[in-house]
Amino acid sequence: MTSSENTTLAASGPADAIYRSIVEHAIEGIFQTTPDGHYLLANPALATIYGYASVAELTSGVREIARQLYVDPARREEFIQIMHEKGAVWGFESPIYRKNGSIIWISENVRVIRDANGAVLYYEGTVQDISDRKHAEEQLRRAKTAAEEASRSKSQFLANMSHELRTPLNAIIGYSELLHEEAEEMGEKAFCQDLKKIEKAGKHLLDLINGVLDIAKIEAGKMEVHTEEFDVADMLQDVGSTIAPVIEKKGNRLVIEIAPEVGKMHTDLTKLRQSLFNLLGNAGKFTENGVVTLSARRQCEMDRDWIIITVRDTGIGMNNEQSSRIFEAFTQADSSTTRKFGGTGLGLTITREFCRLVGGEATVTSLLGKGSTFMIKLPARFEVPVQSTEIGAGVLRQLLHGAAAPEDESQPLVLLIDDDLTIHDLVKRFLHKEGFRTVGAQNGSDGLEMAMRLRPSVIVLDVMMPTMDGWSVLSRLKGDPYLANIPVVMLTMVDDKAMGYTLGVDDYMLKPIERVDFVGVLRRFCDQSNPGSVLVVEDDDASRELVRNLLEKDHYSVVEARNGLEGLERLADMVPTLILLDLMMPHMDGFEFAATVRKIPRLEKVPIVVMTAKDITSDDRARLEGHVSRVLQKGLYGKDELLAEIRTRIARVSPAPLMTAA
Amino acid sequence: MPKILLVEDNEMNRDMLSRRLERRGYAVAIAVDGAEGVTFAARELPDLVIMDMSLPILDGWESTRQIKLAPATAHIPVLALTAHAMAGERDKALAAGCDDYDTKPVDFVRLIGKVEALLGVVSAK
Repeated sequence: MTSSENTTLAASGPADAIYRSIVEHAIEGIFQTTPDGHYLLANPALATIYGYASVAELTSGVREIARQLYVDPARREEFIQIMHEKGAVWGFESPIYRKNGSIIWISENVRVIRDANGAVLYYEGTVQDISDRKHAEEQLRRAKTAAEEASRSKSQFLANMSHELRTPLNAIIGYSELLHEEAEEMGEKAFCQDLKKIEKAGKHLLDLINGVLDIAKIEAGKMEVHTEEFDVADMLQDVGSTIAPVIEKKGNRLVIEIAPEVGKMHTDLTKLRQSLFNLLGNAGKFTENGVVTLSARRQCEMDRDWIIITVRDTGIGMNNEQSSRIFEAFTQADSSTTRKFGGTGLGLTITREFCRLVGGEATVTSLLGKGSTFMIKLPARFEVPVQSTEIGAGVLRQLLHGAAAPEDESQPLVLLIDDDLTIHDLVKRFLHKEGFRTVGAQNGSDGLEMAMRLRPSVIVLDVMMPTMDGWSVLSRLKGDPYLANIPVVMLTMVDDKAMGYTLGVDDYMLKPIERVDFVGVLRRFCDQSNPGSVLVVEDDDASRELVRNLLEKDHYSVVEARNGLEGLERLADMVPTLILLDLMMPHMDGFEFAATVRKIPRLEKVPIVVMTAKDITSDDRARLEGHVSRVLQKGLYGKDELLAEIRTRIARVSPAPLMTAA
Repeated sequence: MPKILLVEDNEMNRDMLSRRLERRGYAVAIAVDGAEGVTFAARELPDLVIMDMSLPILDGWESTRQIKLAPATAHIPVLALTAHAMAGERDKALAAGCDDYDTKPVDFVRLIGKVEALLGVVSAK
């Protein structure tokens, strides 16, 4: 091949007319601009977006994009900076002056076009007018702030009011108790009964107010966590003996089963006890002549110890619809439940909120007529969680300033896209220990932007996320030539591997995952210490030299060959991890070489990446089909993309390294 | 019978609680603010002080500190009554020198249990 590649848009033949038509009639603005800020090409849609009468008026009128178009000229510098570092931008949003001076918001997707030596030729991309969306976002943001503010005042009001309500209630309960005692002494049976009713109603009202106060405190963010260390078995025995009389009232038996290894835990004891009283009290209330089982065990998951406590009853149970709503405030399985069984309908809500407050969760499974099992799962050791606002701010910083300064650049970067903050917390915690850098995004669109900006070594992706689900994120990642070669590992509870692999996922792991497996998979995609050997088959000396330098800098060992025949000779005594192949070469060209390699069984699995200056015809494609993994067009790919491609291909064939737990 | 000093500014609570304690056979002395509480503790030398925490003039925390600082009254156990069922209040009360605490609204049976424990009574029932 030759290194003097021409990479303008120029196409030839009938395809040219088609491309022209696409550009002419596109709804998005399409452009090519130079680094010094004028237009090489623009389409009518772009002129319309920017308020110019014609393409000619736009391209001749705008000679300095930074100053004439961007409201903030520094925005163009940022753009060029990102282009320089990353080679592309995705969803780059800026306010822009139209010709008449009015301001609109645009979003740009742009990539850089370089010559074979890596010098920037021009930028090429698309522009969308996103003013309407920006306006809507701003209104949404304001509405959200107002709603949050209102919610906070409501919670504060409830907290204050609950306290004010308790003071007189205190007197009502106290005096009715006092009178009850006195009436009993005086033998006033009729008074006793009525006084007992006042006392009972007063206590029920007090329970309600306490519940509302707890929920208001949780919602207002004022519920404090006070942790202490205690023995789980002792605590459960104590809770059991306190609640046993209540459970036994309806002819039930309380069974306590504690696994021997359950040990101690460090969390908010008061809240855990209250949660257990709620669950056990419910179990006793909805079960007659049955068994209520309280059990506990310890379980290690994602590098953390969890204590799992279950309360199982053989009572009336619930159907799916009922159990799905049972944790909502003021919801009992059935509105007649309240009449029949009493209760405030707040206990389970509070229980779940308490569990979440200490980093855990409360869940239920139930069968109508058979009974219910409530499960509390808490970290054995409570640790102050990462606040969601901090993560939000981190993402924002990264969006504003590009990549966050990483601690150790040589460590592979893992991007985690998951809406669940506890997963972020867990994954970060143990990946840092294993020598990875991590960044997190809580939704698909942030994830895509970070992938574009940071080019992580691996992306770990959840399926179930609000607004944009994991499948959409995956198909956007794999559909973007700039991102397609970053390995994506799905980490999910949704067991749909077929869907994952169809959309191009590189590995698929079901939650809960084993830490060692997970790290092994990531290592496989990121291992840079001994990445492997590459055979470079290329006739042009300068290109071969360039590639060798590039690969050696990345720690690959490189073996060179000047044509297909030489390549085969080298292969006589080696199995490279990957073959990088030019197509047009003397003696034996790339087509023949690839076909020959594929006939040698021991070389069957070695990926071949073709790197060519040749325009690939459909005939060429057919000849390469089944022999090579990927064709890269010289000049269209920068060195970063080439390296990323090589890394990905190598990662896919390397066996998982043997892992040991840290 | 043991003597209890009840320091409580709310008239209804004071009346109710003192009557119920008396019904259990305790002698009850009353103080209506913190300053009175400190003075009466020194004068009456009760076996136990039940101290509300939100009091006028001198609050319950400061009153407790003064009771615990004076050599004549330092040995008298103080049971704090905190209005808010919040752990922060409890810690504050214990830090001020209170021997135990209970939360309002008063659960009388629970309160009596704590009173008896502080007085070293096995069971007054």
